Amino acid sequence: MLSFRGLFWLLSGLVALVNSKSSAGDSVLVVVEPNHRDNYSIFFDGLKEQGYELTFRQPKEDGPLIIQDDVPNFSHVILFASETKNLGKDITPQSLVHLLSLNTNILVALSTKQTQLSSLATEFSLILPPPGTPLVSYFPERQDSASLIPVAITANPVVSKDLPPVWFSGVPQALGSNPHLVPILRAPPQSFASEIDGGSADALVEAAEKGGEGLWAGSQLSLVTGFQTLTGSRITWVGGVSLFNDELAQKEVAKGVKSGNAQFAREVAAWTFQESQVLRIDRVEHHLVNVTEPKEQYTNNDNIVYTAYISKYDVKTSSWKPYSGLTELQLEFTMLDPFIRTALPPVAGSPGKYSVTFRAPDRHGVFKFVIDYKRKGWTHLHSSTTVAVVPPRHDGYPRFLSAAWPYYAGAISTSIGFFLFSALWLGGEVREIKKGKGSKAE
Amino acid sequence: MSTAYPLPTGLSPATVNNTASLLRIVALALISGAAIASRLFAVINFESIIHEFDPWFNYRATKVLASKGFYEFWNWFDPTAWYPLGRVVGGTVYPGLMATSGVIYNILHALNLPVDIRNVCVLLAPGFSALTAWATYMFTKEMKDESAGLLAAAFIGIVPGYISRSVAGSYDNEAIAIFLLMFTFFCWIKALKQGSALFGTIAAVFYFYMVAAWGGYVFITNMIPLHALVLMLMGRFSHRLYVGYCSWYVVGTLASMQVPFVGFQPVSTSEHMGALGVFGLLQIVAFTQFVRSHLSSTQFRSLLNVGLFVVGIVGTAAFVGLTVKGTIAPWTGRFYSLWDTGYAKKYIPIIASVSEHQPTAWPAFFMDLQFLIFLFPAGVVMCFLELRDEHLFVIIYAALASYFAGVMVRLMLALTPVVCVASAVALSSLLDTYIDPTEPDVAEEQVPASTDTTTSPAQAVTTTSKKAKKAAAAGPPPASTPLTNLIAATSPVKKGSPPPPKGIFGIDARLVVVLNTLSMLFFFVFHCTWVTSNAYSSPSVVLASQNQDGSQHIIDDFREAYYWLRQNTPETAVVMSWWDYGYQIAGMADRPTLVDNNTWNNTHIATVGKAMSSSEEVAYPILRKHDVDYVLVIFGGLLGYSGDDINKFLWMVRIAQGVWPDEIQEPNYFTPQGEYRVDDRASQTMKESLMYKMSYYRFAELFGGQQATDRVRQQVLPKVGPTLDYLDEAFTSENWIVRIYQVRKEDPLGRDLKSANAFEKGKKRKRSKPQPRRRAVA
Repeated sequence: MLSFRGLFWLLSGLVALVNSKSSAGDSVLVVVEPNHRDNYSIFFDGLKEQGYELTFRQPKEDGPLIIQDDVPNFSHVILFASETKNLGKDITPQSLVHLLSLNTNILVALSTKQTQLSSLATEFSLILPPPGTPLVSYFPERQDSASLIPVAITANPVVSKDLPPVWFSGVPQALGSNPHLVPILRAPPQSFASEIDGGSADALVEAAEKGGEGLWAGSQLSLVTGFQTLTGSRITWVGGVSLFNDELAQKEVAKGVKSGNAQFAREVAAWTFQESQVLRIDRVEHHLVNVTEPKEQYTNNDNIVYTAYISKYDVKTSSWKPYSGLTELQLEFTMLDPFIRTALPPVAGSPGKYSVTFRAPDRHGVFKFVIDYKRKGWTHLHSSTTVAVVPPRHDGYPRFLSAAWPYYAGAISTSIGFFLFSALWLGGEVREIKKGKGSKAE
Repeated sequence: MSTAYPLPTGLSPATVNNTASLLRIVALALISGAAIASRLFAVINFESIIHEFDPWFNYRATKVLASKGFYEFWNWFDPTAWYPLGRVVGGTVYPGLMATSGVIYNILHALNLPVDIRNVCVLLAPGFSALTAWATYMFTKEMKDESAGLLAAAFIGIVPGYISRSVAGSYDNEAIAIFLLMFTFFCWIKALKQGSALFGTIAAVFYFYMVAAWGGYVFITNMIPLHALVLMLMGRFSHRLYVGYCSWYVVGTLASMQVPFVGFQPVSTSEHMGALGVFGLLQIVAFTQFVRSHLSSTQFRSLLNVGLFVVGIVGTAAFVGLTVKGTIAPWTGRFYSLWDTGYAKKYIPIIASVSEHQPTAWPAFFMDLQFLIFLFPAGVVMCFLELRDEHLFVIIYAALASYFAGVMVRLMLALTPVVCVASAVALSSLLDTYIDPTEPDVAEEQVPASTDTTTSPAQAVTTTSKKAKKAAAAGPPPASTPLTNLIAATSPVKKGSPPPPKGIFGIDARLVVVLNTLSMLFFFVFHCTWVTSNAYSSPSVVLASQNQDGSQHIIDDFREAYYWLRQNTPETAVVMSWWDYGYQIAGMADRPTLVDNNTWNNTHIATVGKAMSSSEEVAYPILRKHDVDYVLVIFGGLLGYSGDDINKFLWMVRIAQGVWPDEIQEPNYFTPQGEYRVDDRASQTMKESLMYKMSYYRFAELFGGQQATDRVRQQVLPKVGPTLDYLDEAFTSENWIVRIYQVRKEDPLGRDLKSANAFEKGKKRKRSKPQPRRRAVA
């Protein structure tokens, strides 16, 4: 089993080495209107250069299918046809969720129109404003329309912070409480959602009244939101598809400063397609101190060494490299509840190796070594190894206890006494035979 | 001397004796054969399979013992039981049964007989029943004579009360324990009669075997001291008693402490304090006797008074003090429930929930013992008439066991041997009297028999046992016992006239009684055969029903489901079910279980009960926390199998309520009228409970629009059945008896599974609003 998995990793690593940039595969399905396809040439060419195989599909077409016989046909899906109501029979909200559970990554662009995708967004805890209400901001003062906004990149776990601001035009998303959300681009503080392009103000007011005050406004809104599922696949919701187009990529945000759009789009795609911030646990080991072989059962109070080997995907070489950069990795030794929770620090000198020695609890049961590392933007690391902790064997207890000396003394003295008594009795019988008989007769 | 029928003459006594002993051996052999054969109904009607619940664990443990050896068995930690707590099997099991099978298995293999361990286990109980018959023979021989012994052996060989626990495949502790019980008692009686340290030690060795084999050893632990105590109170203290008891107690207690599961209990729990107390009392009494032989009577009396007073005070104070301090464990709940039948239901529902812990119904006595139950009191009276030391034992045993058998169904087993012994004594006295060819002498005054119970007990016992037996068999009891006086006073015979000659005249009077008795015995045999083949031979793993043409139809849902689990799930998949099925899942499906029939952890069982009786949303975190992959329920509604989980459901609720009284409340599961219903009038809590949902999931669909009727509870179910969001139906057996559900994994998007399911079905979600980040000022 383990060797099989190892082989699998090895093979996939080899494949990656040849022609892929992503840790998850290189085939990409792009669903985009044919007349708009050329608008995104910078973005698409960038992907092609990296080694991705792009397959284009019109939204109205029926093929190629994204999923066939419950097996996804592509490693990644880009949905840029944001204004189309129906994306074909096989692309439904349900099938997209299913794709995610099969470890396919998705990059979705939203629009101000009410489509299937905007109802899908609710499943990801994204709350969109009513249809026809894009993000609007009148700051900073500029020539362009109020709905085309330069957004500065704030602290986020996905995109580098030193990029110039990016041009954005589209819908903002308020974020629900789902912990899997990774906000990538926040709205500027002065921005808000408004009915600028033909939507009805009533809907917005009504929605705002229902929900309380201060809706869809301010820096709490997210414009580009990542989402990492429990299975490790990633989906990124982009508020407007124009963020990727050539025009905004070329447009200046300030005099002589080209916008950060191209680079931003590249980095968002890199994260979404599992190129960056991808970790994995290669293997875990556990054994007694000073022993190398693992045991199926440990005894109470054994000293156990637990080691995990962690790699990070390196996009430059398209391979997995041992990674020692995690500083807050923890190990739990649990049976229903954690009995031991301890830091699992990297071992200096051996890259990718994290190790800790601890004493097994004084309690028997079926325990699990659990690593559960969840950080925004990073792959979730989860490993659970079941092992039994048993009481000492019948001969595993100390044989003589100093505390028991009173009992030993009692046993020994009784034995000696009995021996002496027997000897005296047997030896003395000859002389006292008459007396003994007399008393016995009763 | 005239006889009623001709007797052969000219036979030497040696020939008679030899023929008699040959006949006895042949009779015992035949009895053993009958005992074994009647227990094979289960194998013939069904197959060679381990029965019921506990035997599956014993079988599994025996396999470990046979394959890995005794030391590995001793240190066996079973990580698959009571997941994730695990069970230290070696230290929590009575290993006697497994060790016995292991020894037999190894001997057979050493003899190059490659017998499967399963067959050893299946046939162990019938084999030991033959030994039980022999032990009962020996025991009853001590009470009366060989013929009574043979009768008792025949009774115990085929009586349903014992067969119910020892058919082939019923591989449980009781299978060997009854033999050990009877043989220990026999050795004790022998030790008491002869004052023999050898027999006392043998009794102790078998007591040790019994301790290693069955928790019911406590019965011996209290029975023998009680007998000794009664003997002392009746002034029958003797050095034979002293030697017999002390050798049994000292060797037996030390030996019993070697069993890991028992450990220090013999010196630290209240159940065992009686034996220790009697041991101490015996020393005091023996010492008193010694002092009396050296002192004058007045000195002795004052010394005795002071001594008794001081010893009594000190002893009681020590016992109370140690109990309060906790050194001596107080009585356990199981013990209390013996005296107060309502106790268990109130405080320990888990004990009360077991069907064999219920009070016995009256018909059960007749079913299990047939006409023996009527002869039993007669036999006890006969013991009173003679009242030797060993008869006292039978009387005490009879009184205690009758009470216990009335309290709990399973203790019928403890009553059965003494019923057989007492009935055999009564019946053989009857037969002795009526088969005896001696015609009463009309002319002469009748001479009373030579037995004289008014003589001191010590003397009575010193008469050779042969003579005593002869006297006991000789017919009319002596006139001087209180009982016969009573009978004489109430009988209408006039006092003045000389008593008419008593006795049986002629062959016809004899034949009437003897033939009657024989026909009763015949009916007994028929009854036993019928009960055994119809009631007690079902393995309960396999059910049988009859086709319309009368042929047998086997319902094999349990094994079907367990084998499905075994072959379709990963080896580490944890299966949750009610504890009744834990051992079977472990034995047949070989999968980890949360709880099983070794009900040592009430909280863990209550956790399962809570999961079963709460709604899906509440149960799901519990299931995930315990790594449950599959949930198994037993559902009899389609077939009319009444032992299903819905009928046990209230016990789950009660047990869960005991631990979480705030979350689970029994009244919520009843209708407002207080009825327990499953149809559309069922209470909301009931309908939302996981158990209800799992039982009736898609049940209505089966009837295709017709009324869906639950055939156990005779109720019509609503057309729209329950829905499940957190579980998927994985397997349902042919007759729907076993249903297995798979627990779904968390939603990859982090939604709760209910809304994920709704989304999957394409239902529109209610548009959610962003949460207000500021609270409105009121």
